[in-house]
Amino acid sequence: MDMMLMLQMVLAAFAGTIIYTIVGIAPGTDETAVLAPVTLVLVLTGLEPIVILTFFMAAIIAKKLTDSIPIAVAGIPGGVMAAPMVEHAIVLKEHGKPELAMRKMASGSVIGTLVAIPVSLLLAHFLMRYSDFIASYANELFFAGAVILALMSKQRWIALASILPFAILIQGLRHLYWGLGVIPEGKDVFVSFFLGITIGPVIITLFELLNSKIRKSLPRYSEKTIRSAKNSKYRGLPNPFRILTTQELSLSTIASCVGAILFIMSPVGITILLGELVSSFVKDPIKKSTLAISSMDALTNATYISGTLIPLIAIGIPLSPVALGPANALFNAPPVLTLEHNLHHILSMSDFIWATMIGAVTAILLTYFIVIKYAERICLFVFKKVPHEAMLGLFFGLVILLAFIDAGWINIAGVLLIGLVAGFMHRLGVNYGVQFMILYAAPWIVQMIAM
Amino acid sequence: MSEEQQSVSNEAGENIEIWTDLVNLKDLIVAMVITAITTLGAYFVAPNVEPLPMLFGLVGALVGFAISAILIKPKRQFKETEHEEEA
Repeated sequence: MDMMLMLQMVLAAFAGTIIYTIVGIAPGTDETAVLAPVTLVLVLTGLEPIVILTFFMAAIIAKKLTDSIPIAVAGIPGGVMAAPMVEHAIVLKEHGKPELAMRKMASGSVIGTLVAIPVSLLLAHFLMRYSDFIASYANELFFAGAVILALMSKQRWIALASILPFAILIQGLRHLYWGLGVIPEGKDVFVSFFLGITIGPVIITLFELLNSKIRKSLPRYSEKTIRSAKNSKYRGLPNPFRILTTQELSLSTIASCVGAILFIMSPVGITILLGELVSSFVKDPIKKSTLAISSMDALTNATYISGTLIPLIAIGIPLSPVALGPANALFNAPPVLTLEHNLHHILSMSDFIWATMIGAVTAILLTYFIVIKYAERICLFVFKKVPHEAMLGLFFGLVILLAFIDAGWINIAGVLLIGLVAGFMHRLGVNYGVQFMILYAAPWIVQMIAM
Repeated sequence: MSEEQQSVSNEAGENIEIWTDLVNLKDLIVAMVITAITTLGAYFVAPNVEPLPMLFGLVGALVGFAISAILIKPKRQFKETEHEEEA
């Protein structure tokens, strides 16, 4: 491999690790919302695909390592996928052991990464022979995926009922832009709609604030009080195999394998199941909690890595919740990457292995060490210095930028419309997975019902 | 989420909850306006050579984020509690 390219990959891995070590700590950072836009912009700037993959792998691994910190320190999940761990981590916090929770989670996370990478590469290798067959049914699969994800979600009927109307909204806007000549006919508008869906819940809240009645009736708070424990330092070199007990290590390994194989399912769902399973066979509250959080963190990390790598290497179309969400830009970021020409088609197996290894090793070495040693200090720094308003402002700025680039001024309103509908659907219980599948399936669905 | 761990004081506050954390409405508008201006501003002043406009836009967004982070105070309070060392 070219030395210059290697250097770029290492730099990208460092950048991804450092940025997402900090982002992971910030509370309420949805994985899709923080990873997808940045990856998108990097793809669109025309960086080498292998460099972007390295960045992405380092970023998710670092993010998954650190999003457990705010749970342990403050009982606030650092991301949506970390939410199921809160109740177990809080037990440890109540027993005055937040740093134990942090170490167990971070160590579980490392195990998840170490197990998921080889398992994903093997599975992808095995699935690769079917890739042409699978890819030739992409449209039908997206539609089926939307139906299946809808049926698996808690609010299955509303999710099912929203598929057609939402597909029509998406295609309707595209045809409007084509008809008005804002963009050449047939040019895809994808990236900005994707982001509109991502920040939908925020957009609907912002619109509600414009209604004086709702604004006045909203609950008001002064400040969020976060109780944090005083700093306690870890002595010696951090080593996940020493921090975890044999039982925790074995369950984390098994959970990671299962998570990697079930890459097509929602990580949150499997994590909750695992938590309940652990609760049923361990009685001691502290042991139960450490076992639960270490294996849950291993599992979420494993589903993350496999959900990205397997569809990317084996098929080239985003057929997992992770691939549809955070990793989406690696599959589809027109005009640079499309479903017919993305990382799957551009990179070779050894490229994938190199990018994954450099990303993973950098993220684990840097972030795991930092988490174990300085977690509380970093956490307090982020909580004190990064206002939530600035985070929301950043998303808003990126959405406006990408909306404008996609289809001019009119599309800023178009994306607001998408966000408004998506946010409303989200409230009714239609999850992101279903909405993203509809976004992919929309052209085919509309074509089918127009016949 | 347990009330004890994450107590949100209810008395005479100004802030509202969006996406699991508290914001002040005026501060939020300030942050959104600042970031929108820096982002689009940077995008439009960039030389018209791909991929510079997009890159400028991204940097503009980060600059907006940094300005907002300096101007706005997070709505979080801290209470440090003692706890025993792990055995």
